[in-house]
Amino acid sequence: MLGIITNFKKYSFLMNQMISRDFKVKYKRSVLGVVWSLLYPLLMMSVMAVVFSQMFKMRMEGVNYLVYLMTGLIMFNYFSEASNSAMSSVVGAFGLINKVYIPKYIFPLSKCLFVGINFLLTLVPWLLIIVLSYFGLGQYTCHINWYYLLLPYIFACLFLFTVGISFILSTVSVFLRDMFYIYGIILTIWQYFTPLFYSITMLPSNLQSLFKLNPLYLFIDSVREIVLYSRMPSVTTLFMCGIVAVLSTIIGSIIFKSKQDKFIYYI
Amino acid sequence: MIDINNVSMRFNLGIEKNFSFKMAFIGIFDKSKRPKKEDFWALKNVSLHVNKGEVVGLIGSNGAGKSTLLKLVSGVMKPTKGKITVNGAISPMIELGAGFDPELTARENIYLNGAVLGYSKKFLDEKFEEIVEFSELRDFLDVPIRNFSSGMTAKLAFSIATIVNPEILIVDEILSVGDIKFQEKSKSKMLEMIKGGTTVLYVSHSLDSIKQLCDRAMWLEHGEVQMIGKAKEVCDKYYKAQMGGK
Repeated sequence: MLGIITNFKKYSFLMNQMISRDFKVKYKRSVLGVVWSLLYPLLMMSVMAVVFSQMFKMRMEGVNYLVYLMTGLIMFNYFSEASNSAMSSVVGAFGLINKVYIPKYIFPLSKCLFVGINFLLTLVPWLLIIVLSYFGLGQYTCHINWYYLLLPYIFACLFLFTVGISFILSTVSVFLRDMFYIYGIILTIWQYFTPLFYSITMLPSNLQSLFKLNPLYLFIDSVREIVLYSRMPSVTTLFMCGIVAVLSTIIGSIIFKSKQDKFIYYI
Repeated sequence: MIDINNVSMRFNLGIEKNFSFKMAFIGIFDKSKRPKKEDFWALKNVSLHVNKGEVVGLIGSNGAGKSTLLKLVSGVMKPTKGKITVNGAISPMIELGAGFDPELTARENIYLNGAVLGYSKKFLDEKFEEIVEFSELRDFLDVPIRNFSSGMTAKLAFSIATIVNPEILIVDEILSVGDIKFQEKSKSKMLEMIKGGTTVLYVSHSLDSIKQLCDRAMWLEHGEVQMIGKAKEVCDKYYKAQMGGK
């Protein structure tokens, strides 16, 4: 345990550099730059809001649909973007891995952190929409409440869950490049099977319990409880969030660690 | 101190070829088409002890296993058999410019590459001027290095890599970098580093530089140690063996 912490410290500067590199490269030569991080989720949400509430006449009683949509979207997008870029991070860093010794967990982890910082930026427009609901945006008002203090915990769980999955994906993709294609399909399926723009109550009850096994839904639903209904998620739910997050990280780390010495022969 | 104890390294050449469902499927029915294990031993039972402050040269023809040995010592790969113990901070100069990002400016790349090589932020802040000075690229600090010529990139990489006073230095033939003026400069910089009391593992095809710099030398051929001994003797033997046919 102590070894892990000193290792972290030793390589924190490198991680820092890699994350800031990602940032610089991402926004280089775009006119709006970092503003895109704020604008992008807003535009995505607007498109979906128009499609589902205007064209498909989606209605949810007592719920601000815009906030409902955006909460699910930003959280799911974090997961899909982070896990996707982390998956290719090890293969993409071949030039480095082949030349100098660097602990390999740095590559997926720094991608999760990088997208995580982006995620924190998307919270700004998200909060903006919530505040605007006081002024009549969407039908219902979302009341800001003390349970918001639980949000960092849930976001941390989402982060850890993503890190675990990323470790597994980046390991598998080294040995099986088909994973890049397979995972793209998995993500699409996952997205539709996570109640992002519809409500889980629209499904038959036997399907509902199946859908609730989805860890991402667990996280998203907890946040919605707080933001939309001003209720505290049940202690069991919060506990489950933590368990899922820690389990994912542990399993991911074990898999990654046991295979990492073989990476170099396959990339 | 570097202690290489009975190290062997195996590569599986079959990995690249038989890596699809199609081949696996055919393999079920046709035994002769199953992936064969094509083992290739890049190193066989290599042992070498390098004392603190000693400069050891590695010679051998292409593909003899020199670079593999360096990668094992620097920790990039792990040996199949045997054990490698390294005491002290390693500065690997196997290939320069590891981790350079073409989109970033020279200034940003100094920090990125420095971090990859294991330097701290404080160290880089202190040495930044020195790196820039040595690289002769002051006017191009804020230019993305994708616009650099290969010579300029190499100069920058060399300047970052050689800014440290490492305990253990691993060098894989990187002396000829840049224009004539810079080559001379880099050569004397390398000499200064090597003679500064660091432990050095040095790979080169230039027997003269091995003789000049190294105390001892090891001759590798097909992954096996042919000879270890005084640099001059090993180099002479090696030269004779290589040219003997003529």
